Amino acid sequence: MAINVNQVYSTVLTILNKEQRGYITPDEFNKISTQSQLEIFEQYFEDLNQQLRVPQADVDYSDRIENIDERIAIFKTFGNATYDNTTTPTNPFWNLPAIDSYGNTILYSGVEPTNPPFPSTTVSFYRLGTITYNYLGIPTEIQRLQRSDYYQIQKSPLTKATNSFPNYLYENNKLYISPSTIVSAGDITVDFVRKPRNVVWGYSLGQVGQYIYDPATSQNFELSESEQTALIIKILLYAGVVIKDPQLIQVAAAEEQATEINQKS
Amino acid sequence: MAIQPPSDGLITENAQQYFQGSQGFRGDAGNNTGQSFTTTFDTDLYLGDWNPTGVDYGLNNFKIYTSPTAIPGTWSEWVTAFTVTNGKTVTLTAAPGANQYIVVQLNILTGGKYASTEAEKAYGQATENNYGSYQYTKLNDVINNFLVAYVGAGKLIPSVKRTDVIFHAKRAMQEFSYDTLKSIKSAELSIPSSLTLVLPQDYVNYVKCSWVDRLGVLHPIYPANNLTMSPYYTQAQDSAGIPTQDSYGNDIETESKTQDRWHTANTNWINGFFNSNDFTNDMWAYNADMFGFWGGRLGQQYGIDPQYHQVNGWFNLNEREGKISFSSDLANKLIILEYVSDGLASDLDTKVPKLAEEAMYSYIIHAVISTRINQPEYVVQRLRREKSAKLRNAKIRLSNIKLDEIVQVMRGKSKWIK
Repeated sequence: MAINVNQVYSTVLTILNKEQRGYITPDEFNKISTQSQLEIFEQYFEDLNQQLRVPQADVDYSDRIENIDERIAIFKTFGNATYDNTTTPTNPFWNLPAIDSYGNTILYSGVEPTNPPFPSTTVSFYRLGTITYNYLGIPTEIQRLQRSDYYQIQKSPLTKATNSFPNYLYENNKLYISPSTIVSAGDITVDFVRKPRNVVWGYSLGQVGQYIYDPATSQNFELSESEQTALIIKILLYAGVVIKDPQLIQVAAAEEQATEINQKS
Repeated sequence: MAIQPPSDGLITENAQQYFQGSQGFRGDAGNNTGQSFTTTFDTDLYLGDWNPTGVDYGLNNFKIYTSPTAIPGTWSEWVTAFTVTNGKTVTLTAAPGANQYIVVQLNILTGGKYASTEAEKAYGQATENNYGSYQYTKLNDVINNFLVAYVGAGKLIPSVKRTDVIFHAKRAMQEFSYDTLKSIKSAELSIPSSLTLVLPQDYVNYVKCSWVDRLGVLHPIYPANNLTMSPYYTQAQDSAGIPTQDSYGNDIETESKTQDRWHTANTNWINGFFNSNDFTNDMWAYNADMFGFWGGRLGQQYGIDPQYHQVNGWFNLNEREGKISFSSDLANKLIILEYVSDGLASDLDTKVPKLAEEAMYSYIIHAVISTRINQPEYVVQRLRREKSAKLRNAKIRLSNIKLDEIVQVMRGKSKWIK
């Protein structure tokens, strides 16, 4: 479930070098690739929102919502929040998970995963999903509220939070869950989307100073294989900027636009 | 005959669980400590304290019994430490004995059949609370069902705050409780000599009030209406008629004289009933008009107002004190107060008859759509009509109109009226 970084780099170099247009170094490629991957990744959420407003074809492989969800699913993970009733002055609250259920350490506030090892055992938190409370053995979704709603809803006896229908505020990477009787460790599960790991085309230097691909120190693209062509076109677009080739930019941009129109029409 | 799960139906309890409120397990052969047993009752287990001497032991809604043979008389209550997880799983801290028979008994009015002594019996109503529960759907389930079936991409409600649905569902529950659902709340009470009773905790409005005779037959008690009332304020007044205050500046309240007179009144002076056993007093009643004025009523009761011309007594509500007050002839009588609540007072109340479930969905979807901006009016109107029609259906269904019963009543139509 990943796109081989060497295959993409080779393809990009092949297209770039045609007619001696130019060359990008592994370091430039890594940066451009990470940027391209993130751009495509972020676009998923906008596309999903857009597609949710469009009737879908309930046929295998052609439901766009399912297809987008499948692409995001690679990055979906979850972990247990931890209760904190000691840190003043904002306690009690729940901290977002420190470790996800796949054993990865979760990084917050823009801290990037470290490597080696490849792949890294750390992941960056990207977007908060559903939060559930294990009430009598059944996961119960906790509703997210804005602070103004949070207060108003608590005031009404009909809508105030209960164990069956709890609420939460999400502020400063902390969860303020109501009712306050929810305190048991392991009862709050946080679903979230992690950030794709930075792309690394690892290499060693050959006898004549050439770059030799090293899969052991490489980090593949984590996007779905179905994104390979879109990814290469986007990298080419940025590569065109690097090597200052307007024609390449134009061709790549036109190709990207055509694909976009086809996918969303 | 009970349905034996597992099946794909909605019933998840077997006959023993439903009728007896008990479920059996077997301890392991290794006699290990920390053995867990997961119950599958519809009722969640509630553990206040495992220790019978603990203050919260009385809050438990179940008991655990063990026996080495399962032969009647060999069972004893498990009174060493155990825990309950998620309202379902019981974990015994100590080892119960190899291959021990273990039973979880929900509280039941009979106390269950496992206890060896009276003290060990599991008295309570947890089992009875579940009887007949299949005719209802829990309000929480209605909310969850609604969110699943009516909310989502491509549906009439693409997204909605869950608290909105909860609010409308609870409001629906209240509205339905007032005039659609069966009035099932009633309290059997004895009227003290003070002639007042505190209203039930979940009282919203009365349906009917009756006193009970020795045969158990109900005799309707009527509201006092214009006869009397319990005043909201009973301020003490000075000689000039000005309300007087205490040293803190608050009005001084006194006992209501109206209530006092009403409670000591001979109601026969009002209803014109002549009690031949109390000729001394009722001679006056018989000869007085209905408001106690001497006027000579002998043989002149033809035009009396029927609401006052009855001997069952009257009640009136004291809104200020939250009490119900009765006329003096009802002192020490047994009454049944039928009333409606709003369906939200306790967990046991928050259930919707399945006959009205569809009406509730319609109520919620109409409430959500009609309070949302930019909704086509024809959609709102369509939902309003659907809500109305389904509510009507629910009322008809809950009215319990049965052909045979109507026929039986109609058989009396040819009787001669004498």
